[in-house]
Amino acid sequence: MALLSFERKYRVRGGTLLGGDLFDFWVGPFYVGFFGVTTVFFAMLGTILIFWGAALQGTFNPWTINIAPPDLKYGLGLAPLADGGLWQIITICAHGAFISWALREVEICRKLGMGYHVPIAFGVAIFAYTTLVVIRPLLMGAWGHGFPYGIFSHLDWVSNVGYSYLHFHYNPAHMIAVTFFFTTCLALALHGALILSAANPAAGEEMKTPDHEDTFFRDFIGYSVGTLGIHRVGLLLALNAGFWSAVCIVISGPIWTESWPSWWNWWLDLPFWAD
Amino acid sequence: MFRWKLPDWYDRWKKDNPVTLGSLTGPIILFLVGFSAWIAAIALIVWYNWAQPESLQTGPRGAGMSVPNLAGLDAPDKSIEAYYTEEAYTPEAGEDLAKDVYENVQVLGDLTDANFTRLMLAMTEWVSPEQGCAYCHNEENLADDDVYTKIVSRRMIQMTRNINENWDGHVGETGVNCYTCHRGQNVPSGIWFKIAPQLEAASGWAAVQNYATDQSVSTSLPHDALEKLLLEDGQINVHDLEPRVPGSTADVGELASIQDTERTYSLMNYFSHSLGVNCTFCHNTRAFYDGAQITPQWATAYQGIDMVQEMNQEYLVPLRDTYPANRLGPMHEDAPKAACNTCHKGYNKPMMGLPMLSDWPELAAEGPPEYE
Amino acid sequence: MAEYFNIFNQVQVQGPPEAGMAGPGKPETDRVGPPFFNTWVGWIGNAQIGPIYLGFLGIVSLVTFILALNIVGLNMLAQVGWSISEFLRQGFWLALEPPGPQHGLSMPPLDEGGWYIIASLFLLISVMSWWVRSYLRADALGMGKHVCWAFLAAIWLFLVLGLFRPVLMGCWCEAVPYGIFPHLDWTTAFSIRYGNLYYNPFHALSIVFLYGSALLFAMHGATILAVTRMGGDRELEQIADRGTASERAALFWRWTMGFNATMEGIHRWAFWFAILTPITGGIGILLTGTVVDNWYLWAVEHHFAPEHPGEYGYDVYQGGE
Repeated sequence: MALLSFERKYRVRGGTLLGGDLFDFWVGPFYVGFFGVTTVFFAMLGTILIFWGAALQGTFNPWTINIAPPDLKYGLGLAPLADGGLWQIITICAHGAFISWALREVEICRKLGMGYHVPIAFGVAIFAYTTLVVIRPLLMGAWGHGFPYGIFSHLDWVSNVGYSYLHFHYNPAHMIAVTFFFTTCLALALHGALILSAANPAAGEEMKTPDHEDTFFRDFIGYSVGTLGIHRVGLLLALNAGFWSAVCIVISGPIWTESWPSWWNWWLDLPFWAD
Repeated sequence: MFRWKLPDWYDRWKKDNPVTLGSLTGPIILFLVGFSAWIAAIALIVWYNWAQPESLQTGPRGAGMSVPNLAGLDAPDKSIEAYYTEEAYTPEAGEDLAKDVYENVQVLGDLTDANFTRLMLAMTEWVSPEQGCAYCHNEENLADDDVYTKIVSRRMIQMTRNINENWDGHVGETGVNCYTCHRGQNVPSGIWFKIAPQLEAASGWAAVQNYATDQSVSTSLPHDALEKLLLEDGQINVHDLEPRVPGSTADVGELASIQDTERTYSLMNYFSHSLGVNCTFCHNTRAFYDGAQITPQWATAYQGIDMVQEMNQEYLVPLRDTYPANRLGPMHEDAPKAACNTCHKGYNKPMMGLPMLSDWPELAAEGPPEYE
Repeated sequence: MAEYFNIFNQVQVQGPPEAGMAGPGKPETDRVGPPFFNTWVGWIGNAQIGPIYLGFLGIVSLVTFILALNIVGLNMLAQVGWSISEFLRQGFWLALEPPGPQHGLSMPPLDEGGWYIIASLFLLISVMSWWVRSYLRADALGMGKHVCWAFLAAIWLFLVLGLFRPVLMGCWCEAVPYGIFPHLDWTTAFSIRYGNLYYNPFHALSIVFLYGSALLFAMHGATILAVTRMGGDRELEQIADRGTASERAALFWRWTMGFNATMEGIHRWAFWFAILTPITGGIGILLTGTVVDNWYLWAVEHHFAPEHPGEYGYDVYQGGE
């Protein structure tokens, strides 16, 4: 139960959302809280069900385990366990675990006197997951539209759903999401590198200051967003990547059912082109 | 677990700011409103969804193989309502045949007079309902071969018989007749002409792609896919069937290049668009070529490729000189050609699977028709 | 929860523009300005735009880039018969296309990939000179060279796609066209041709690092914003002398997931995740078509392709519609 050198003074009671003092303690470095208990419950249940599904499938190779959703014919009903029902229950457990995790993060923020940015950011990620396995299947009328739980099997789903629209790269929201992902990666590389280059200067030099950071980027590209700004930019880039990903898939099927390249016909057919 | 003595100010503050129902009313109301709005949204969505058609599953659950545009495929094809058909007259022994009654009957001579006229009437409904017999015939001498359309339609009757007799692997018992393509129009929709190259200041591969066209279904994939793969006998398959294969794409003709792949992909876009379906209708896209991961529809389409190539090479392209200039292609003055869209017109089965042959044994094969 | 989330600057304070630090031993003479302020930008970060350091390499890079861009754009315009209207209409579809397979690695005619080779050469010079610039600007300020090395990781992927792999394949035709939709077509065609890139383990790794970078920046950005009230955004000061912001940030993650980084260490996690994205991606591309020609079959061979037991064809599934 080793604490960090400065940790003791922060381990105070309070900040809980539910349960008061009942679960307000730590196990090792982990904070428990009411939502820590629910997280463990849902996570363990979901994991056991995944192992059960793997046993039914007949393999424990982690790369090929495949827990598949039900056939489309079951619509929005509950399917037999071995025919997709397991997937449905695991999905419920996943939601329980993820939402519990987020609420536990809220409790930790409250205890540490921090803003709620982290659990809200995580909420965007949970929203993207929910869009894929709940919202889109609901809109399309069958739980079978969710993605299977399996490392490589979920990639087969991505491939097939992508080709369902003939050429998914032409989906404009997908283009926006991809741009946000790549820009996030670029920005993270730059930010990580910049901090490290100031904190670990050239041999024999003294550690540098934020003014050096600003100067470097102004010299380099003519603009420096600053120490506070980069964290806003980074958070907003990353959240937009997740958000637009959710958008790009929820419009594919519920709203747009043809090929994505054909969507661009509105531009090609605008009346004012000369020919 | 550690419990520290909390500072006095905290206890005092807590006494001064107790948690009462009053202080919670705001959050509770917010939660209730938000929750009911969420429930209402879900209810609306689910209710609205009952009115929506479901997707068509085409592969194992969880693989993501489905065709979402069932509304498109379920929406009735209007040309079915306008379809004209008449049952055949069973010939009696000793009845006159067309070749005995009329002059210059080259293909349909073995039909009885009654069935011959029946077919002529139907063809008029199928191809030229407005112009009537005059669209193909010189009305003062019906035997004359003056009008070019008579030459064309004679060859097309042979083409139709060929499709129904030799390509039943693709058209099955349903079969085709003139209406399948023409649908009451002189010129069928969905015919195609050579359009490559669309780009100037470029040659080779650079000139036949990177430009939005109908044949490339609004992609920038090559727009010569129909020309190279459904007219000429270009190679459609591009995959290596082993994990490691020697050779380089610079050995042209030995291994497929990325450009060849884009052309095949363009053709596949055309297939999907013509049938109102998508790639997963035939393939599990993780392994397009794997015989264990294709649907029965793949085999039907495979036959369709060879069928269309034969239609174009043996029947339609040789008719080029018969056509007047206004019927030829705008770029290359080439003959109009057929491909998937000419028959299917956005449905996975033309006319949603309406039997086209059952009333028309005259079009089922070469030679004298067989009546039941 | 009615606390300010610090996403935008509520009040923009503006002083005289900052001229920038001087490097060890020499004053800066090549900075070009004058710097100006933009209020819209100022809502998120610093409002000051400029000054920029031009320098010889900067000018070389800028000029060669504009040349490359113009070669691409003018070719596109020529391809639509110099019609501006058609150029705008077909804009996303147009491209400057690499040579065909028949030319191998030799210089093809201008209209059949020759311009592509020339534009690529200018782009290469532009990128490499910009890269050296990133080294020199850090050196002038006595800073570490991490930005330069991070950029090199991206350049690795760029060179793999445009130079190393085409050379190994013996054909410029394998390179990526310069065009919006066409480069996306290339991506799909590449995956189709080489047996489904999802089964390329380096492709999978690269995606792990890409999504991981998004995850990390969301986590790090959110964490810092959550402790800005204690000065968390002053990361360098917190690295040198740990304050309550770093302590709370670390403890948040320690209590959440059992371990944590430090104010400096998180930037190492960030740096590596972000640069491993193009590094592993480049390796995956390089191995495709050279070492492995069909990734799905390679996966079957190595026992990690899952089964999808079940039937194929819509007839089987018609039942419950």
